[in-house]
Amino acid sequence: MSKNGISRRDFLKVGGAAGAALAGASPLGNLARVAAQTDATVNVLTVGDPWDLALQSVVDQFTEATGIGVNIESLGYTALQARLINAFLTQSADADVIAVDQMWISQYADNGWIRSLDDFIAMDSDAHFDDFLPECLYSLSTWRNHVWTLPIASYAQGIMYRTDLFEAAGLDPLPASVADAGDWTWEDYFGILEQINGMDLDGTSMYGTTVIGAQPVPVVHMFTGLSASYGARWFTQFPEAPWDFTPTINSEPNLAALHDWNRLYGWSPPESINYLWFDAGTRYSQGDIGMFYHWTPYFYLVNNEGYLTGTPSPVVDKTATAVLPTRTAGGDQVVSLGGWSLGMPSTSANQDAAWQFIKWATGAEAQKAMGEVNVKGYQFADFSRQSNYDDAGLNEIYPFLGTQLEMMKLGDGKVARPPAPIYTSLEGVYGLQINQAMSGAVSPEQALETTEILFQNILSGNQMIPYGVASFDDTLDNTKALQASLSGM
Amino acid sequence: MRFRKRLPYLLLAPSILILLALILYPLGFALRNSFWFWNLQTSPAPLYHSGLDNYRMVFQVTPFAEALKNTLLLAGLGTFAQFWFGMGIALLLYTHLRGMGLFRALLIMPTTLAPVVAGFLFRYLLEPKGGLLPWLLEGVGFPVPPQGFLGNAGTALFSIGVVDTWQWTPFFAIVLYAGLLSISEEVLEAALVDGASRWRLFWSISLPLLRPIAAFLVMIRFMQLFNSFDLVYVLTSGGPGTSSRTLSFNLYREGLVSYNIGLTAAMTWLVVIIVSVIINLYLFFIYRKREW
Repeated sequence: MSKNGISRRDFLKVGGAAGAALAGASPLGNLARVAAQTDATVNVLTVGDPWDLALQSVVDQFTEATGIGVNIESLGYTALQARLINAFLTQSADADVIAVDQMWISQYADNGWIRSLDDFIAMDSDAHFDDFLPECLYSLSTWRNHVWTLPIASYAQGIMYRTDLFEAAGLDPLPASVADAGDWTWEDYFGILEQINGMDLDGTSMYGTTVIGAQPVPVVHMFTGLSASYGARWFTQFPEAPWDFTPTINSEPNLAALHDWNRLYGWSPPESINYLWFDAGTRYSQGDIGMFYHWTPYFYLVNNEGYLTGTPSPVVDKTATAVLPTRTAGGDQVVSLGGWSLGMPSTSANQDAAWQFIKWATGAEAQKAMGEVNVKGYQFADFSRQSNYDDAGLNEIYPFLGTQLEMMKLGDGKVARPPAPIYTSLEGVYGLQINQAMSGAVSPEQALETTEILFQNILSGNQMIPYGVASFDDTLDNTKALQASLSGM
Repeated sequence: MRFRKRLPYLLLAPSILILLALILYPLGFALRNSFWFWNLQTSPAPLYHSGLDNYRMVFQVTPFAEALKNTLLLAGLGTFAQFWFGMGIALLLYTHLRGMGLFRALLIMPTTLAPVVAGFLFRYLLEPKGGLLPWLLEGVGFPVPPQGFLGNAGTALFSIGVVDTWQWTPFFAIVLYAGLLSISEEVLEAALVDGASRWRLFWSISLPLLRPIAAFLVMIRFMQLFNSFDLVYVLTSGGPGTSSRTLSFNLYREGLVSYNIGLTAAMTWLVVIIVSVIINLYLFFIYRKREW
């Protein structure tokens, strides 16, 4: 076109080449980056929970100790799951260490997306594998007699209540340990709520409690805490072998639990039908809730006025914790146990460094350091190791650790919310029906009848009734045996 | 000569092929998967041909009918409200009153917010304990449900519609205002000289002349509202119960939470068919006397 300038043809050629280079640059660049980082850096994908903030505050200690760099990327729950599944399906090395929800273990393990940690544990005595509470390993990390992850944050459930309100009402303190619980039953719990609901405390009209009613996941988390304690089970036989996923959701204990869940809602703020976990926690910390049960991280989170704001709440020093009651006096107890663990994708090209990180982050020393972080208040007490619960310094910071440990030891994450394949589909319809029963759109009887039919349809449609794959006798005793064997005991 | 005749087609071919691939491939992929059992919770690959089972499961295990009803209500009433509020504001802007320039500049702001941000904003504004809107409404004697507007099955969907209307009415207003400005003043003056009232002027001249723009706007917003997800997710997560669950939220639950790819593909196709029928009927009635 012009002698000195660039012709349109040349421009298009150059532009095309540049475009092609740019288009290819991203994956090539990623590969180069992964290659350069091999052995020097581990990429960690986590979820934005309180433990993640504590971990990020102390992660430099790992780099100082090992010389291995760490890139941590925190995502929301759904985004993390979507990102992981996308990476697994495309076989891309998206991360070396990933945070795994207990409900994902069966899916990830059965599909070969994460690798078993058995060999690493067996060959590395520094892991102090015997220090883990077996209930935490059982609930969060084992599947078909293999260890797939190590727990980084374990949550049980327990009660928080206002000591000043109890005093004003002339009520005795609630039992902080199972030994003190005696005949402490849910009916006693409801009786207290009946008494304190509507009481005036320093000019504030108090609600007896608050539920977490948002459907589907939050309400299932909290309702199953009650229903498991009542003896309700989801399936005919699971996790004990042989697995029979015929639903047992429409049972007497579950119906009783749902009726009582509705009673709890009656003593709660009406808007709690839409509450997520932190809505209930922050509502309590604002000062007009007398008593509630929740996941144990809220034992310390309620000290903040909002969610991790760092501003002390009006209920600091006016809150005590207690163990959950049983359905019948002195009856059996099952506490919901959940949380997060760290696993290693099969695609990780950096497995030794990844193991070093998992071992460190779930180790007693790092966990203690996380517990001592005080940025926006103390923000991590979700220990999975006995030695952390025995630590005097940690007990001083978190005086409720004794109660929490007792709840952990009664915890069973495979019964309260069984991590069977397609759990999330079941949880979706279950949560919806519980929420419908709360709103009065259906009766508790109708809700459970519908849930059972939907469970049957989903489980049959997904080839789980009858279950054609080999079962495993997934019991706490078998996890204890596995723990002993991998610990060389 | 023959080559010159074919040249335009050859030049257009790559764009058309890419366009077709981008539309047809995902649809074809979804159609194929809708007849396969493929649940990522149990297997990374499709397991077996399942005939119409996924379509049956859509109605058996998901609240599809409720979600469809809610979606149609939200899309229909939302589009209707936004169009007429937008028209009212556009007419107000057209009056050239003092301060309209500033008002016009402020008007576009809600539209620039991400729906998630608008959702969080209104979640707090609608909070029954201390939220500004319930407080104001109670102050003027408007009954506020004890669970709050978002927690009540009778008001949750309506509240989502109100937030969407708050956000998107300005879009209608600005575009319709631009449409009003494009109408020849001579036509309006001629009608005034002939004795037409302001109402007759609007109804018989402005509105028919705005029809092409309005019809397009309504179609676009209806489709956007039909696919509402962000606000539903942030404000109510489809609850309480299924009272504010939409089809997009259903798709999200099955696809990105339950990872049931086969069932999600079947639901996608049902949605594609429903939207196509609605939009084609709409286009037929709106443009039947025109070429478009």
